[in-house]
Amino acid sequence: MSEPDKALLRKAVARAVAGLTATGRLTIVEVAADGMTVFRIHRDDNGRPRCHYWSLSWEELTSEQAVLRAADPLSADEVVLVCSFPDGAEANQALGWLSEARPAAVFPFTGPVTAVVEDVLASDPLSRSYDLVVMRADPATGRLRLGSKQLFPIGALPGTRSEVAVRCEPGDEYGTAFAVVTWQGREPRLLSVHSAGLTPGRYLLTAELVRPGKVRFTGVPELTRDPRGWADLVAAAPSQLPPRAAPAHLICAVEVCGPDAKVEERLSRVRQVVSFLSAELSGLLRVSLVAYGAHSYDDRSTGEHPVEVAAWQVAPERALAALELLEERGAITEGYPYYPHAAQVEDMLDAVTRRLAASEHVRTVLLTVGDRPPHPARTNRSLILPCPHPHDWRLLVGRVQSRPDTVLAAICDRRDASAHPAWRRLGADALAHLDALDIRGLAADLGLAAPAALPIPFPLLDETE
Amino acid sequence: MQSDPTPGPPAHDIAMWGAPGSGKTTLLAALNIALMRRKDDWKIIGSDAASSDYLIERTSALSSGKIFPEASQSLEHYRWTLIGPAERQERRWLRRARPAPPLKIGISMFDAPGGLFSAGPLRPGNGPEIVDDLRRRMMDNLAKSRGLVFLFDPIREFELGDAFDHLHPPLTRLAEKMLETGELRDGMLPHHVAVCITKFDDPRVLETAEKLHLLDSAPDDEYGFPRVSSEDARDLFRALCEVSASGNADMVVNALDQFFHRTRVEFFVTSSIGFYVRPQTKTFDWNDYQNLLPEAGRDLRIRGQVHPINVVEPMLWLGRRLAAGGPR
Repeated sequence: MSEPDKALLRKAVARAVAGLTATGRLTIVEVAADGMTVFRIHRDDNGRPRCHYWSLSWEELTSEQAVLRAADPLSADEVVLVCSFPDGAEANQALGWLSEARPAAVFPFTGPVTAVVEDVLASDPLSRSYDLVVMRADPATGRLRLGSKQLFPIGALPGTRSEVAVRCEPGDEYGTAFAVVTWQGREPRLLSVHSAGLTPGRYLLTAELVRPGKVRFTGVPELTRDPRGWADLVAAAPSQLPPRAAPAHLICAVEVCGPDAKVEERLSRVRQVVSFLSAELSGLLRVSLVAYGAHSYDDRSTGEHPVEVAAWQVAPERALAALELLEERGAITEGYPYYPHAAQVEDMLDAVTRRLAASEHVRTVLLTVGDRPPHPARTNRSLILPCPHPHDWRLLVGRVQSRPDTVLAAICDRRDASAHPAWRRLGADALAHLDALDIRGLAADLGLAAPAALPIPFPLLDETE
Repeated sequence: MQSDPTPGPPAHDIAMWGAPGSGKTTLLAALNIALMRRKDDWKIIGSDAASSDYLIERTSALSSGKIFPEASQSLEHYRWTLIGPAERQERRWLRRARPAPPLKIGISMFDAPGGLFSAGPLRPGNGPEIVDDLRRRMMDNLAKSRGLVFLFDPIREFELGDAFDHLHPPLTRLAEKMLETGELRDGMLPHHVAVCITKFDDPRVLETAEKLHLLDSAPDDEYGFPRVSSEDARDLFRALCEVSASGNADMVVNALDQFFHRTRVEFFVTSSIGFYVRPQTKTFDWNDYQNLLPEAGRDLRIRGQVHPINVVEPMLWLGRRLAAGGPR
């Protein structure tokens, strides 16, 4: 085998492979002493060159028709002929038939053509860029978006390395998937997926282009092949990032009028919520506690009990101490007889909005726990007497909602259907029922705690870092 | 309360009816309060001890106790005399003007339990003979009287829709009785009828009147209460009938038109308790006018002062109409 012949052949094959379009076909025919070998090369969906080849002996190729049927040179976009036994009659005869059917350059070469083809295909520059599938999180909302990060551009050669800094959260049953895709227009084509269960944290991922179609990742524990297809992977991607622990202000507004047992239960729920979130957001939670009762319109009353701010933006322990005093006192009796069909919700909202105006802007949750509706600002067909002050609860709820990063939650004694419509406004972001309270679910709805399990099956890319 | 200074029976009788719970008893109590609040010397004087006691009890419950008077449990017959201000006569030549005797309108009012007129039994435990006797007595009284007060409770009509059921049977029986005695005039009953649309203080009634642009206020009303004039009251009545639970309220109007001359029927928009007025402002406030105060359970109290609206006017209208027509 002469080196110049090999170099010439390799160059010719490499040029022909590089020129292959997405639908193009390259045929290489080697005529040898014992028969003929046909190499058929095309690009797959990822732009990777793929080769199929087959050999036939001269005993099977006794006619021009048989030779042309085996090589099928007319269906190829380009043909390369290689002769490794120029002295053979069958070989020369076959070359003659092939050249006549499809004129092409004939390269003399006595070595194994297979090795040359394999070498060319393994070192073919990328015809499409290779991207790593990642998730990007909106830092403001925590909303997750599935996307990609380029690892290797078009033209990259095997041996090229690329580094990507990623963050991995607890994954799904496959762990974290490192999926590589190419792009066909706007459509991603999955090239490979490998997964591993990783310890959550930051990783500096190194990707090495081993050959077209094969990317090796280092910087993470050993990955194993993942059997999922693209549709399965997309389905596994969540839409929301679990909330990160951040300072939060929980305002618990509790109705402390009505039956003793109900008041006790409401206060008990508040205690559970404060305790849970205190553990979840260790050191980051501030709590306010507001107690409100019923108005009294009766001239037999000695004066109603006003809205009581028992604690404002204090540590959970202090709020729980204030709550204990409310628990010991139970349902308020001052101001009897009370109005039976509504409570001072609108007064409570007024007290809260006034204080919030001067409070620092952290994530704030107003959690109202009670049963009765608010009083309207003016007489209307509800027949509920108007607030004596007269506060407009709709206006005040709107004021709370328009405050940045402030949400409304409610725990109502009654179930959805029988609760007054005002409770849907008070619990605009999360409405729970007193008797069936899922505290973790409620906290997750409010962005104050991670749900029990929210796997992030792809590496996260934080472009702000 | 004084006794009637004029001996003898009152010249005219007025009978009152309406569905149970339509506010007949409360209207009677409110009548006395309203007369005392007027500054034109009209007063009501009981003609016998029972009538005086009735008036004292009901008035006290409504004004001081702020509770609704107990509804009538039996047929009750009360007599009062409405005594108006003395009328000045014109001076003639050199003679001094002498005050004329005060205008006196005799009112004999029958307050009957609402269920008496319905077709069904009056009350569990009462035998049919008792009910028949009560109905017979009431029919006699209705036939004797020439003034009728019919209470139409729009809230009850909206929720139950039974006003027609309580109007039509007694009207039919009354017409039958008066046909027998030859007292029908042109095929019509000879009575004057004051239709009182009650519960004007309820937001649902007031808002309906407001939407129809039927509200005005009397310039001399120190509180500035909204009111609906008698000319517009019929329009409000029709509008309220449209939301009747049974859909039969329009037949109430038709029944009145069938049995009475149109000129003898007048509509009044009334409220026995009136609107709530803050003691500090003493002015009607559109933002806070509801005078009913719910208590635990289903009981209702009166929230503030009682300011009856249009409860005297139907009586005076009837009295004057009857007086103008001469004694029976």
